[in-house]
Amino acid sequence: MLTIDHVCKTFGTHTVLRDVCLQIDRGCVLGLAGPSGEGKSTLLRCIQGLETVDSGSITCAGRVGFMFQDFQLFPHMSVLENVLYAPLLRAKGKIAQKTCMEKGEELLKHLDMWGLRNRYPQQLSGGQKQRVALARSLVLNPDLLLCDEPTSGLDVAMLSDVVALLHSLREEHTTMAIASHDLSFLVQISDRIIILRRGCIAADIGPERFGDLPQLASSLFG
Amino acid sequence: MGIAVKFIDACFFIGSGLSVTFFLLLGGLVIGLTLGIILAVLRYKNIGRQLIARYISILRGTPMLLQLSLIYFAIPTLLGLQLSVLTAGIFAFGLNSSAYMAEIFRAGIESTPQGQFEAAKVLGISSLHTWKDIILPQVFRAIFPALTGEVIALLKETALIATIGGADLMRKSQVLAAEYFTYFTPLCIAGLYYYAIVLFVENLSRKLERRLDRAHH
Repeated sequence: MLTIDHVCKTFGTHTVLRDVCLQIDRGCVLGLAGPSGEGKSTLLRCIQGLETVDSGSITCAGRVGFMFQDFQLFPHMSVLENVLYAPLLRAKGKIAQKTCMEKGEELLKHLDMWGLRNRYPQQLSGGQKQRVALARSLVLNPDLLLCDEPTSGLDVAMLSDVVALLHSLREEHTTMAIASHDLSFLVQISDRIIILRRGCIAADIGPERFGDLPQLASSLFG
Repeated sequence: MGIAVKFIDACFFIGSGLSVTFFLLLGGLVIGLTLGIILAVLRYKNIGRQLIARYISILRGTPMLLQLSLIYFAIPTLLGLQLSVLTAGIFAFGLNSSAYMAEIFRAGIESTPQGQFEAAKVLGISSLHTWKDIILPQVFRAIFPALTGEVIALLKETALIATIGGADLMRKSQVLAAEYFTYFTPLCIAGLYYYAIVLFVENLSRKLERRLDRAHH
């Protein structure tokens, strides 16, 4: 699904990614762990094409969706407009537009946001904004969904909502890469967790070793 | 009774210059807004940045009266063509306003979070649609008060058309003043007209601003 081959990225004199090699299989949920500033977000942004890599290559077989840490919903558009604007631009003909609208409606109903479809982002809570951002990404049928710190700024109740949401996506075999500094959250939803340290992959572990993660993280980051 | 009749006649006479004032204001606004947006977007996209910065600097750094005189008297002489007072006025006020508009829009664009551009890119929205439907609506809302200020400034500057013979509010009041050798009343009437338009613009702007806020909050 995704192949990252010897990727390096530098901002000025600061090297953020060092020779990162990684593969993600279709249907896999990859957790990217590590404290802030270790290169998680930059790696996601490079995969999405928001940043150019200095060397190496990133190959993705399919469309990539991206959920921003701060959602970046369009503030002058309602929930429904936020979700449907991009797909309607692409839809050629009335049938395609109708399909788009049906898909948007289905997604918003699935995410329990249909009742709030005419609200504006400023009128929503953090968790609701998150669901709109997710619907906006999913309506374009991405083959790979990248989520940057999906739990930041959420309270406990909202956090369990997000976990449930990502779980439901996982059950639908959506391929995802999720960056978070919250290990306990990543353990709940990932098939595999990678720990980034100073831009390098310091650990790549499967679910059988998830129990060792806290110890591993404390040995890596002190 | 006689004084009142004269006053009303004077109001009508000076008011006949309103159409010219409005024409200059609207023409100047259309050119100023269009060119201002184009310049601000090009500058943001790093296209002709130095040239645009110089254009803005020159137009903001020289007197409006000089620019108007150049366009009406000097350039036609050089190019061998004759511009009407209104055409010259619309171009002069429009170009001058575009420099101020470009700066207002630049500030608005720069205050829009970079993430909005990135979100549009991630969703595969074209550059044209990103600007038209995502960025500029947000910019308009942010710069609305500054834009109102520029409209009012432009309205007041249109009075300079009187210097090249344009029959606007100002010119009409001067004609009346010269005819009756009295300046106070005609100039006060012209002032009242200008102030009434400014109050109308301010009122309209507040209503539009409230409507924008209601739509977004």
